[in-house]
Order: sequence, then C-alpha cells, then structure tokens
Amino acid sequence: MKERSVCLIGSGGQGVVFAATVLANALFAKGLYVAQLQNYGAEVRGGSVMAYVVFSESEVVNPFLNSFNVLIVLHDFNVSSWMKYLEYSNLVIVDDLLVSKNFCRAIKAPLFRKALEIGLAGRENVVALGFLAGLNVVDKDDLKKALMNTRDFEQNAKALEAGYELALQMRLKELQEFSK
Amino acid sequence: MRKLLSGNEAIAEGALAAGCSFFAGYPITPSSEIMHYMARELPKRGGVFIQAEDELAAVNIVIGASLAGAKAMTATSGPGFSLMQEGIGYAVMVEAPIVVVDVMRVGPATGQATKPAQGDIMQARWGRHGDQYIVSLAPSTPQEAFELTIEAFNIAEELRVPVILLIDEFIAHGREVVVPPKLVTKYRRTVMEGGEEPFNSMNPRIAPPLPELGSGKYLLITGSTHDGWGYRDVHNFETHFNLVKRLRDKIMLNLDRLFMYEAYGNEDPDVLFISYGSTARSVKEAVNELRSRGVKAKLIRLKTLWPIDLELIKRLGGDPKVVIVPEQNLGQLIMDVERIYNPFEYRVIGCNKVGGGIPIYSNELVEEALKVLGSGGKASN
Amino acid sequence: MEARHPTRDYVREEVLPTTFCPGCYNGIVMNAMALAFKELGIYDLRSYVFVSGIGCASWIPNPYLKADSIHTLHGRAIPVATGIKLAKPSLNVIVIAGDGDLASIGGNHLIHAARRNMDILVIMVNNLVYAMTRGQQSPTTPQGFITITTPYGNFEKPFDISRIIVETNANYVARWCIVNFPQLKESIKEALAKYNRGFRFIEIWAPCITYVVRYEGKTAGGALKEMSKKCVPLSDYEKLPMEKRDGCIAVGVFKKELKPSFIDLYKSYVEKAVGGVNGI
Repeated sequence: MKERSVCLIGSGGQGVVFAATVLANALFAKGLYVAQLQNYGAEVRGGSVMAYVVFSESEVVNPFLNSFNVLIVLHDFNVSSWMKYLEYSNLVIVDDLLVSKNFCRAIKAPLFRKALEIGLAGRENVVALGFLAGLNVVDKDDLKKALMNTRDFEQNAKALEAGYELALQMRLKELQEFSK
Repeated sequence: MRKLLSGNEAIAEGALAAGCSFFAGYPITPSSEIMHYMARELPKRGGVFIQAEDELAAVNIVIGASLAGAKAMTATSGPGFSLMQEGIGYAVMVEAPIVVVDVMRVGPATGQATKPAQGDIMQARWGRHGDQYIVSLAPSTPQEAFELTIEAFNIAEELRVPVILLIDEFIAHGREVVVPPKLVTKYRRTVMEGGEEPFNSMNPRIAPPLPELGSGKYLLITGSTHDGWGYRDVHNFETHFNLVKRLRDKIMLNLDRLFMYEAYGNEDPDVLFISYGSTARSVKEAVNELRSRGVKAKLIRLKTLWPIDLELIKRLGGDPKVVIVPEQNLGQLIMDVERIYNPFEYRVIGCNKVGGGIPIYSNELVEEALKVLGSGGKASN
Repeated sequence: MEARHPTRDYVREEVLPTTFCPGCYNGIVMNAMALAFKELGIYDLRSYVFVSGIGCASWIPNPYLKADSIHTLHGRAIPVATGIKLAKPSLNVIVIAGDGDLASIGGNHLIHAARRNMDILVIMVNNLVYAMTRGQQSPTTPQGFITITTPYGNFEKPFDISRIIVETNANYVARWCIVNFPQLKESIKEALAKYNRGFRFIEIWAPCITYVVRYEGKTAGGALKEMSKKCVPLSDYEKLPMEKRDGCIAVGVFKKELKPSFIDLYKSYVEKAVGGVNGI
C-alpha cells in the first residue's frame, strides 16, 4: 500500500481533532504506521481547526504534506488559510450546508444535514468518519472498535452508520475511482 | 509493544522509564500534556507530582527535589522557559541534575501559542547570564522523544548538569507509532561516600559524586562562587575561574559522547542539509527526491544541539556546493554553521519559515536546492 | 570545664567570625535557634536542611550553621525547600530569609506554600529594608521611613506579612521582636516540636543595624530599649483604640493548629490514585 492521507478541516468544537484521533487509532489497530498532526488555535470553541492522518505499511518518513488523498471540509470558518490544501488535494468533499463558499472540484456532501436528520447535530465529525469508511479509506468495523471507549458510543455508532450509508448512496464517480 | 503516542506522551513515558519520580510544572500550551500524564501516573507509582504556582517555582522545586536525591523533571514552553532560565543557571552552578522540556512555540512573547516553531534553540544555549554550558537534545519523532528523554536523564545524572529537551509543537502534539525499547539503560548517580569534595573533581571529564541531602555530610550548597567544599568565595579569581572552567570541561571534554547525530544520503554531497527536530523530516524526503533526480544530497540531522561538534559536521559534510540550513525560525543554527564554512568558498543559506503551524515542505527545499545549484552553487565572488 | 557559648555546637567554627555588621541582630536569631535546638535535646542537625535565599538573613544558615544548607536564588528558597521536603519527607526543612526575599520577590511562593500548608518552617527575619544592597525600601518598610530609594520618606503602605499568612491555610504563625528573646526561642521550639507539621511561619522583627538603626541616629542598645516599648502582646494590641495602634508592633502567636499538612493530604491522595480515581 502506498502512503495515504486524509485531512479534516472545520471549526473548533466540531470534533475535527477527535475524528482524526479515532481515525488514527483505527488505522493503528490495523497494524499500520500512522502519523496524526493537527493545527488549531487557542479557542476551545470556534476558530479554525485542521487535522490529518498519514498512514502507510512502512514508516512515515515525512508527515508534513501539502496535499491529501481525501480532504473533508466541515466548516468554512477561515477556510482561506487552507486554500492550498483545497487546491492540491485529490478528492475534496465539502459540507453542503456549513460551507457556503464554492470551490471548484469540490464535491458537496450533506454531512451536517445527515447528522441533523438522525437527531445528532454536532456529530457531523463522526458522520464524516463513516463517509470515509464508505470510501474504503478505512474499515467501518475498525472505526467502530476505535469508538468503543468513547462517550455516547451508541450515538457515535449511529452517526458512523449514517455517514457510511451516505457515501454508498452518493455513488459518485470520483468516489468509485478512489476506492479502487 | 507498539503504541500510538504524541511526542508529549512519549516524553512522559520515557521519563518514567528512565526512573523519573518527581515532576513539578505549570500549565502552558503546548507542553501541558506532559504534566497531565505525570499528574495521572506519578502518584500511582510512588512518585511526587505538584502543580507549581509559576514556572519560577516549578524549576526550583525540581532543583530541590534533585538535590534531595530524586530524578526530577519539569516541562514548559517558550514564555515559561524564559522564566525558568535563572533556575537553570542555578542548577548549572550547584550541579543539580534536572531535565527541562521546552516545547517550542511561536514567539516572542505570547506569539502564536498553539503553533510550532524552533525559535528557542539559542535561548536554550545562551539564555542565562554568566558563563555556562548545558546539554540540549532535539528529537524529531515521538519514538526519538522517548529515547532521548531517557538519554537526557542519564546525561543529567552522570554529568550533574541540567539537560534541556527541545521539541517543537509538531512532534509534541503529533501522534505517531512508538515502540518502547525493551531494555532501558538507567544511569544511577554516584553518591558521595565521604572524603570527596562535592564540587570538585580531579578528572575534569567526570562530575563529582552528588551530595545527597540528609546524609550527615553537612553540605554547603550555594549559587555563589564556591570552592570544592561549597564554601562561598566571592573574592578570588582562581576559585571562580577554576569553577567555571570545570563546569565547561565536564561537558566539552565529553563532546564525542554527547554529540549525537544522524547522517543520511550521499557520502560526498553537492547539497548538504543541516537540520534538526521536525524540520529534518521534510529534509529527509527532500534528500530522497533530490537523489532520485541525480543530485548528490545529504542530511546531517542533529540529535544533540548543544554542545555542537562543528568539526565533525565539517568532516561529515565533505565538500558541498551548497549548504542549506532549514529551520522554523529566522535563522539560528545557521549562525554556528556559517562559522565552519569559509564564505569565500562555500554558500551557506537558510530556509526559514515560521508561524501559523505551516511546516517547511519538502518540495520547497528541493526547489531551493535546485535553484541554488542551477546558479552555480559555491560562492563565486 | 571550659565555658562554651551554646551556639558553638551548631556553627561551623572554621568560618567565624560572621560577616554580619557589628551589633547585627542576626546573631540573636542564630542564638535563639541554637538554644531552641539545645533545649529540645537536638544536638545534631543531621536530619535538618536549611534553605535560604539572598540577603543578610539568608547568610545565617549558609555557611554558619553546621547542617546541610542551601543558599538558593533570590526569592526561591521556598520552592527549593518544597522540592526537598516532597522528595525526602523524612528531612526537617527550615527556610531562613529576609523580608525582601520572602515577601517581595518570593511573595508568590510564600502565600502558595502557606495555602498548601507545605511542611516547612519559615523564619522571616524582617529587617525592614534590603540591607545587603544598601538599604532600599522593602515591602515591610514603615511609612515615612527614609531609605536610599525613598529619600523623601516612604509613602507606600507596608505589608503586615504575618497577618497575611494568618489568613491562609498555615498551621502556625507567630511574630516576635528581637527583644522578645525567650518567647522567640519558645516559639521556635513549638514550631519544631509540638506543631511539627504543615506550614509554620515565624516573623522576627529585627531592624537592620546599619541602614535602619544607625540611620535613625540610634545605637543598637538604644534601639532595643525603644523596641521593647513598642512591642505589644497580641491580646493587648487588640484592645488598643485604632489611633494608638500606629507605631506599635503586635507580637505573639497568631495561630497554632494541627491541620493535616500537604504531605498528610498527599498521602491520602496517593491512596486514592492507587485505588483508581474515577476509573482512571
């Protein structure tokens, strides 16, 4: 397996770092080499947050990337600081409600709306994780295991499932390509 | 057993593996996780954890604990590190073995508290008043953070010197796979048996045995200039000169052992990178990339920043067309590198970027190297 | 048998005479401590560690006392003492320093050690000025007092440092003038033996002989005589009307308790940790 990377961008309080941590734990449990990095401000709520995970079967030599295989944008707060990532990343998925700006190449996905739909607003981060599982980036069951010790596991599992379903429903050409 | 740890967690685990039983600290981003870990673990393991009222207290509590026989550590970041400088100088003078972790963040002042930088390396070396020598290590992965923390304790105990662990926020908060070594070498300090002077040594390479408080030796410990028995002598030239010389010699005469590095790439490079910490990770990829394009490139990565063996670096570097020193600051290590390369023969350039949590990317380094090589490399004037 | 000064068993004779100014009250402080040890039957200070900061009073233990003594940075005696006590609780840790060291530059450490009820005895020799550096105004310099940095008279209100410590979690607080020698000695004995846990604070009012007494045009003996008039026992002081309190020094034991100290509480905290707090 070639080195792969997934990046999440959002606003403080959305659980971007949490999602990256769960993703890293899931991939780590698989026996992969993982590097998880994040960039955030001093705010506990609000502010701009970016977190990403690089994973590979061999040691990660350099975790400092400026483009990612998958990039998910959950909020457009100060998103301009990450414009380069949006430009260079392979597959860019943006939330269709919380991200109002238009980006070329970006695919809109109703991650937040899905969370609202199942009554779990604020768990769009876990929905995004489920979405990644739907893209075959990571195994859904591994994510589930990684979520096992978190608070409100039931709700997280529900959100994960919803995200997974969403990715399958969308059946986008680009997604199909990536999952190969 | 492999673990997924942040650099901060790896430092805390490394410290516990090295036998650290005492931690005092004050909250500061981005080093707090070390304190959190110690607050959770030390009371369970028979150790002592105390949250100090400020960094001045933290470093001095640690010095007190060290003099009483504990392996002690504190962790802080930029502003707190500045406050600790006086205490570190005191530890140098009374030869108290302590480990200080500085998780480097963007400064000066409050700067960007959550963002990484490498701006404290000169402060680590020269931050205190007077003549003093310390040891400073700079890990570049959480794995190395674990290993070098153990090394830091061993050096501190053996040479009776404060050791500063410089790590940047990228490594401190970045989580990566760590495989803790099965066997950890722990240095046990030699305790004074009686008869020896606690502040003098016949062999300048070896630190005198550590006087432990409460062992009935009636020790005198002072931050003023003192003789071998600790008696204050604030008048004589010889006493002071011999003392500061010995404090220097016990480090500089052990340079071969203290200076740790990694050399990577071509033996005789055209492009030589000298780097440390997280930045060296991008450099390694840049070296791979340059070599795949047929450019002879090499990285010398410093695990020990101070004391620095410039002669060895010169020898390892061969005869490069260009020397690049990438750093997440406006150019600090480069000042020492420039000392070993004649400006009429060599081109030494920095590659500097700091702030916002944006690292130096490998493609930037490759471009820079190719640009300089294309323009002829070596200084032509 | 040769007559021997009681203090001599506790001092390093090789470093005598002391560097204190002739007439300095630091000698009386040393004497009170030595007698206290002697009367408690402690002839050897092996299990005692003296920690001091920077200043005249800080030179009492280092180098003169025959015990482990640590001369730390300016203001940092209490943190170092804290570290020693926590790392080796079997040691008795005594801090001796001046008002500038403890109440000004080390003020934060003082109130926090008191808040924690840290197991150390702090002896603050209050000489009213920064004597080692030529007698500048300190946080305890009385109003109107002329020093080198208040050449037209000090207009700042001084700290009543003992009263501040009384308000914290300290176990023992006392203040004595240098003229109250017997009471001072008893107080030190009490803080060493009966109230041997938690934060103990003894303030000793001992004006600097060079920059206070001589500046006021008095002699060492004359100053003592005057001081003995100014010292008012705490119970009497409280009965005085407000206007008469000015210029009086309330002396006595402000507080004596045997609350659990930091180390006591840390021990039960450790039990909790070993048992697992909140499942951690």
